Amino acid sequence: MATCTDPSPRSALEALRGDRRRRPRTDLSSAAGLRSILEDGIFSLFGATAPAVPFIIRASSLRQQNLSTDISLSAHARVRGILINHVLRQLSVGATLTDPFDDALRAWRLEVNSGELLDYVDRLTGDDLARLTTDVTAHAVTLSRSLGPMSPRWMVRSAVRATQVLCNGSVILRDVIDLMVGTSVGEFASVALFDVTTSPLGEGAERTMRYHALLQTLRSGVVPLRTSTFSTATGEMWSLDVDNELLTRSAHEVLDTLSNIARNV
Amino acid sequence: MSTLSVRRATPHDLNELVRDAPDIVAELTDDHRRSLSARFRAVFASDHRRLDAWSVEQAGRASSGFRWSPATARRLLGNAGLRRVVRDPLCAPTEAVTQEIDDQLLRCASGYARTGSLANWLGGLSGCELALVCAEATNWVVQVLEIAQGLDCEWRVAASDAYYDVARARTTLRARRDLDVPLEHGRVVLRVRSGSPGKSAGPGLRSDLTIDTLANHEGIAARRFIGVWPEAGVALSVDGTMADLRAGARDLVRTAVVQERRRHQKAA
Repeated sequence: MATCTDPSPRSALEALRGDRRRRPRTDLSSAAGLRSILEDGIFSLFGATAPAVPFIIRASSLRQQNLSTDISLSAHARVRGILINHVLRQLSVGATLTDPFDDALRAWRLEVNSGELLDYVDRLTGDDLARLTTDVTAHAVTLSRSLGPMSPRWMVRSAVRATQVLCNGSVILRDVIDLMVGTSVGEFASVALFDVTTSPLGEGAERTMRYHALLQTLRSGVVPLRTSTFSTATGEMWSLDVDNELLTRSAHEVLDTLSNIARNV
Repeated sequence: MSTLSVRRATPHDLNELVRDAPDIVAELTDDHRRSLSARFRAVFASDHRRLDAWSVEQAGRASSGFRWSPATARRLLGNAGLRRVVRDPLCAPTEAVTQEIDDQLLRCASGYARTGSLANWLGGLSGCELALVCAEATNWVVQVLEIAQGLDCEWRVAASDAYYDVARARTTLRARRDLDVPLEHGRVVLRVRSGSPGKSAGPGLRSDLTIDTLANHEGIAARRFIGVWPEAGVALSVDGTMADLRAGARDLVRTAVVQERRRHQKAA
């Protein structure tokens, strides 16, 4: 008996965009409810008195759930992450990479004049520099092979920042989405979020994916279609369809993280 | 009384802000212009000064010298790219920005670019650096396009920023504007900003409104001036009332005073 199955996607972005005919209608109503959950939760944590210094939550705050030491926070890993993000930004505009490490480093230097991590790279010599170069090149090759062709008509943007100030500035949620495709204007949901990590995927990656979707919803008022994360270490990609349940879960994760941080201050 | 209001920057809210813009707008006459000029002349200017919303928001603090970077180039390239997208809807944002960069590079290669100009700076960049500039400008095009496409009414990309030279006061005022929404009576102006609005975003927006009105040859204020911060999902707006225009002019003069005082203290 012949069986018809959906062909498997050829690239990460194709998988992310999915079948256009199966997209849900744009959800414009969830954002207000999520904001209420967050504002009420923060009020129950801190009461009416605002903390002297606002609590800042980032995607990395959710990744490190137990405030343990994370190997991905080493200078080498952070530099690798930044450079791979620059590789992604270049690929997003259709640039051809000849030497991923040098290209990404030049682009980074153009953006940032100086800094602790740039100094770290400048201090590297011999074997250490060669190790970083090889490492970045390997991750860049995995990324460019898996990403697939990107149509300019997909409204691609990279390193998209989002900030949400809650409870009169008591809590600030910050986020940077590595790559975003689709538009929030339209009858059907089409915004897909793509996060790239140079670490293997773990439990924290799922929380980060949800956090990206939450921030994008709060920022634009429109629920995105899908959120995904891609590991250049393993070539693995996780993707989740975004719905109200996922967003509510993320809002509670933010509140849990806040509660942990407040307890440790 | 100021008409500053804060809203979410969703298409629904922005449409409401445009739709409900007040019908009656203020008009700046020659007397107003003379009065403003006199006030600026009263503030000693050791050098030609340039004031804009940013200097008002920074309370006259001198910003570190301007230099081109992907962040400073994105609006100029982005708005030029956006005009291309509007002219040719088949042209995608990335393609439009790439074409704009190519034009700038051509200007540089043919010797038409001044030292310190955008074309001159782009001409010195490598391919990977140009790709980053292109990525930043594409982000700008897409975010402004999303705001514009969410509007129910006709819109157009602002032809240029508003400039006004204050007569005999060695002062140039500049207001940034990104989208013009022509209405039956008057217009609404949108300005897209990066980051989140600070505490002084309101005064900044009022000075933009004032400068935009001064630069208008008939002196007619926009019915509403809307500042949109897409990163924060927030929109602030001020109406084109005489109270707001006066407050904007006061903030600009005050900034000139503070700037001069700081310069004097630095020199002493």
